[in-house]
Amino acid sequence: MEPVAIVGIDCRFPGAPDTGAYWDLLMRGADGVGEVPRQRWDVTEFHSQAGEEGRTNTTEGGFIADPDAFDNEFFTISPREAAAMDPQQRLLLQSAWRAVEDAGIAPRNLAGTRTGVYVGIMGNEWAHLHLTDYANVTAQVGSGNGYCMTANRISYHLDLKGPSLAVDTACSSSLVAAHLAVNALLAEECDHALVGGVNVSLTPALSIFYTQAGLSAPDGRCKPFSSEANGIGRGEGVGTVVLRRLRDALADGQRVYAVIRGTAVNQDGRSNGLTAPNRWAQQEVLGAAYHRAGVEPADVVFTEAHGTGTGLGDMMEVKALGHHHAGRSGRPMALGSVKGNLGHTEGAAGIAGLIKVALSLHHRVVPASRYAAKESKQLKLRDHGLRLLKAPLRLPTGPIVAGLSSFGMGGTNAHAVLESAPAARPEPADGAAPGGIGAAVFTLTAPNADALRRNLLAQADAVAARRVPLGPLARSSNRVKTGHRHRFATAATDTRELVAALRESADDPDLLARLSAPPAGRPRIAFLFTGQGAQHPRMTAALYAQSPLYRRFLDEADAALLPHTGRSVRDLILTGDDAVHGTRWTQPALFAVGYALGRTLTELGVRPGMLLGHSVGEFAAAVLARALPLDGAARLVAARGALMQELPAGGGMLSVRAARADLAAWLEPEPLVGVAAVNGPTATVLSGDLAALERIGAAIAAEGITTRRLQVSHAFHSPLMRPVLARFAEIADEIGGTVPELPVYSTVRGRVLDGEAMDAPYWVEHIGATVLFADAAEALLAADPTHLVELGPQPVLSGMVRRLDRPAAGAGPAHVLPVRGPESAGRDLAEALAALYRGGVEPDWDAAYPPGERIAHPLPPYAFSTRTRYWARHSVRTTGPAAGPAAPASVAHREPETTAASAAVRTLDRPGGPADPVADAVLDAVRQVGGYADAEIGPHDRLYEDLGFDSVMIMELKNRLEARLAGVAGLTVQDLLPRLSSVGDLVAFLRESGAAPPGPAHHGDSQENPAFREEERTA
Amino acid sequence: MTTPTTATSHLAAIGTALPGDPVDNATLAKVLGINEEWIEVFIGTRTRYFARDLGTGVVRWSLADLCAQAAERALAAPGTDPSEIEFIVLGTATPDTLMPATVNHVADQLGLDQVPTFQLQSGCAGAVQALGVAQAMIASGQYRTGLVIGGDVCSKHLDLGRDVSGAAPGDLVNYVLFGDGAGAAVLTDEPRGQRVALRHVLNRFTGLGRKPGQIIEWFGLADRYDDRQALTEDYKAIEESVPVMAGEILWEMLGELDWDADQLDYLLPPQLSGRMTRRITEELDVPAAQDVSCVADTGNNGNALPFLQIEKLLERMTDGERALAVAVESSKWIKAGFALEKI
Repeated sequence: MEPVAIVGIDCRFPGAPDTGAYWDLLMRGADGVGEVPRQRWDVTEFHSQAGEEGRTNTTEGGFIADPDAFDNEFFTISPREAAAMDPQQRLLLQSAWRAVEDAGIAPRNLAGTRTGVYVGIMGNEWAHLHLTDYANVTAQVGSGNGYCMTANRISYHLDLKGPSLAVDTACSSSLVAAHLAVNALLAEECDHALVGGVNVSLTPALSIFYTQAGLSAPDGRCKPFSSEANGIGRGEGVGTVVLRRLRDALADGQRVYAVIRGTAVNQDGRSNGLTAPNRWAQQEVLGAAYHRAGVEPADVVFTEAHGTGTGLGDMMEVKALGHHHAGRSGRPMALGSVKGNLGHTEGAAGIAGLIKVALSLHHRVVPASRYAAKESKQLKLRDHGLRLLKAPLRLPTGPIVAGLSSFGMGGTNAHAVLESAPAARPEPADGAAPGGIGAAVFTLTAPNADALRRNLLAQADAVAARRVPLGPLARSSNRVKTGHRHRFATAATDTRELVAALRESADDPDLLARLSAPPAGRPRIAFLFTGQGAQHPRMTAALYAQSPLYRRFLDEADAALLPHTGRSVRDLILTGDDAVHGTRWTQPALFAVGYALGRTLTELGVRPGMLLGHSVGEFAAAVLARALPLDGAARLVAARGALMQELPAGGGMLSVRAARADLAAWLEPEPLVGVAAVNGPTATVLSGDLAALERIGAAIAAEGITTRRLQVSHAFHSPLMRPVLARFAEIADEIGGTVPELPVYSTVRGRVLDGEAMDAPYWVEHIGATVLFADAAEALLAADPTHLVELGPQPVLSGMVRRLDRPAAGAGPAHVLPVRGPESAGRDLAEALAALYRGGVEPDWDAAYPPGERIAHPLPPYAFSTRTRYWARHSVRTTGPAAGPAAPASVAHREPETTAASAAVRTLDRPGGPADPVADAVLDAVRQVGGYADAEIGPHDRLYEDLGFDSVMIMELKNRLEARLAGVAGLTVQDLLPRLSSVGDLVAFLRESGAAPPGPAHHGDSQENPAFREEERTA
Repeated sequence: MTTPTTATSHLAAIGTALPGDPVDNATLAKVLGINEEWIEVFIGTRTRYFARDLGTGVVRWSLADLCAQAAERALAAPGTDPSEIEFIVLGTATPDTLMPATVNHVADQLGLDQVPTFQLQSGCAGAVQALGVAQAMIASGQYRTGLVIGGDVCSKHLDLGRDVSGAAPGDLVNYVLFGDGAGAAVLTDEPRGQRVALRHVLNRFTGLGRKPGQIIEWFGLADRYDDRQALTEDYKAIEESVPVMAGEILWEMLGELDWDADQLDYLLPPQLSGRMTRRITEELDVPAAQDVSCVADTGNNGNALPFLQIEKLLERMTDGERALAVAVESSKWIKAGFALEKI
């Protein structure tokens, strides 16, 4: 059989809210079983130690926490519908989403694909509770029911179009579901498959059934293969795995937890009884799976057994395994079962085992099997070639084969053979495109700000927990954490800084508002290329040092310029040569920087919808608009700079804070001075003969208008440029130029070019023409860009745009500055990319990371809200489901912590009724020792868990009780310890021990109790 | 070197040192103002020894003093000769100074020179780690005889000036749980003296992603006035995890050695406190094996414990008998253990 990879996992089991906690629970050999939560049913009503009719012999089981919490908003499910949904459906839905994320796939990317969904489920208790309440059967109740459409609901909400089905083969349901999914993948019915299993105990029905069938463990715990095994304990859980054909997973560089090598399913047929386990059928299904996987039984290093901990079941299973393994040479096969930790999770048992085996192979250690230390000698495991895992088993390097059994009570048996993932680490292909911007951009999306905060903290905790590589981590966030409305993005250069940014953003609403946004619509990006004046030695040198991507494009520009400049412009920039201020070098250097920045951004997936270049900035704009080829533009700009450099000195430029029109009177008598640029309504630059400029400047200043001489070598865009025009035109003619393919807002025309070529005449005119920046920018702004990205060594045009007299129409475009100044490096570029992402751009993220960082890195999956909760109205009664008119089908509520109606419970359950002086004395003492107010304590409160008592407080409690009650003094702490589970328990014990309220005489005695007095002093 | 490279280490001699007279609960309760019954019920430790005078607070023995005393006793036993010692390994959590390492003072006090010395910074597992290092050195064939020492002076953190009447149990327990002491063993590459083979040593970090169960801070000039608790323990985690880990250590070692639990003559369980050790031993449930514990009488003196247990063990052990020791260091969840067989 072609191997199938397990690439994503999510689960929740008793005592383990997520996959990491599940592994931790297994490795600690911890016990997930506890008392039946009050939310489910009243244990006292259904409990009978002797297992009387209609009763269960246990008050314990493996229950998951918060089964009622459901983030309906996330899935855009109305509270009404959510309340009518079987919690099994809700749990599966959240688990499926998280499993897909764990596979390194953004769930939205699966939408519309033929992904299959296979769910194993056997519990239908919600339906029993709600579909018999005929008066309240609504449309939602119908579709939300039990295993009606559980798989289909996942397919619906994730928009998955492959096969979608729920499987019920009783306890083997979810491993059978996995078997079907594997077959569907191999048959190419689907390319991804989600396999889920779920079980929630809403009623004691199955506990009663197990009891009546003689299968229920009185302590509610499965003790697989143990001498103390005495039956089944029920467990809950939900788990989902994502499966793919191994070759596809490897090709995509996905993390592979483990590989499924073969699966098999069969049936007992007409065996000893419908529910009796059948050794022969189990033996056959094992053999069939080994055969399909192409392994010898002796290859199997360990097997996760079904292991329910019933005498007969364990014996049958051992014999079936023994048939294949008894003859092994070397060490016996290791055996264990997760049921010892969780109880029997029924419909979810198969997935619990599958996830345990996958994690074992992934972590290369098999957890010990709980209760294994008391191995049942009767099973003679060693004779069957088996050994129970009493301690974790470290797996040696190299391929490891493991088995997994799941047997259904109705006789449907399943077995799977798994293997450790192939060792091949994903390596970037040779010749992968260079990339990297010198910093990482971490992104996260969520439906709203609250969800954003919650998930930021979840991610921060994960990053803080262990050293993680920043690049792969951030890249995974870019790839997986997408698809929701609110986009968070922040730049980071190390993980410590990232953790701080994530936590601060979660804490500080202002910061969160700055770093996150719901994009308003499709982004319209404008690139603005800076012109002369912005250059400086070592401009963008830090970015060049940090960003391989920028390096690539600056090198490219340099190579294009070199034949025409004779000296490397890149080296001139990087060495900090002041010659960069000479126009011969200024022009090609600015061109190189503008081009490299522009190409860096387009390579990152930032596609400009409009372009504008201020004067010499227009050459880079023309290349990006494909009006000029890079080589042609390089030659043109090199020639332009060189020719202008040859002009004699004696020219200059003057910036004037006045409107162009207001300057006409001064210009008219000066033929050697012209208007070089109109940068704004009151920002005009004059250019020309120095002496003439001197005269004009003095005259203007006399009017009280501010002027400033610009530090330029020549009088650009002035009549003094005329001598170069002819020679420049010759070169320009050779290069040509075409109509730009993107809208270019020309500073020659002061408007968008309309089918006009950026050819030789255009570039010749460009030299002498006034730079109509204000007009061009106004026109560009009128086209409603969402983002203005300034590409140059430092921001200049952004400020000019801000100073344009624009009618206040909304917030205007956002200014994005990949280079903020001389020190700018990767971080500023990353922040620019982050800003663009927040604004709706979909970057090509891979370009932001060097090839070596383009590897999958697991992130914690989405953290769902637990704020909204939905549960059945408490209608589980010995008399059957109540369908009274006052009992709606289910209730939805918020703030679940306050659900326990403690006041009512207190008065009902208080031993001896409200006037019980022993209870009063105990409650009083407990209040005093614990520092609780009057109303807060009730008999159900547990001293340790609920009230936070510790051993010192117990000592004090005993002293206080001695002071308050007669007949207590003889009791020792050891007497008390076993009876301190709850306040009520303590009261009952004291009454049994003959404690009584002190009479008048007693009262006096108790006041004399020295221990009490001592305690009062030290308290 | 004619020794085969897989030489088995043998324990030739053992020595221990406990400072001063035992301090009982009544005395401790009086000095600290703690409830005596509380100590008995919840800690279950009867006596302990302190290197510091309980009345005056004056330090009477350093860790080096105690370790050297224990080593001297081991070296004085029949079948050992100080001149044969080719290396020293000391495991401790409470060195006298960070520099020089205490092991070197011990060597100095013993008059040993020109030998490699090692000091392992570790809690309850340190003595086992030291055994492991010694075992590997002897197995390498380069060394034939070495001295393995474990010791701790926990009373460094016994702040007698503090009023603990309002302290929480987690804080209080630090005053009554611990004690001081040291132990030493001479390991050889051939059966000599006690003729006890060291069959297996387990030493494994298992605390990935887990919060420490126990922390001992150290303070320098920059942070000496920080208001940090010097010693903190997560008793809940310890109570939950140590019994499970102890069981896994036991069964893993039995599995490695291919020893049947029924063949085990002695069990040296983790020595946390009288009460916890009793509980763990019950849960380990190896009824065939005799329990060898000391903590109820010595207090938890860290790396001295395994040596104190071995000393008790050797009083009873006869030829062909097997013993298995289990230790758990809850600081960062370290599993440790070793197996002995008298030949």
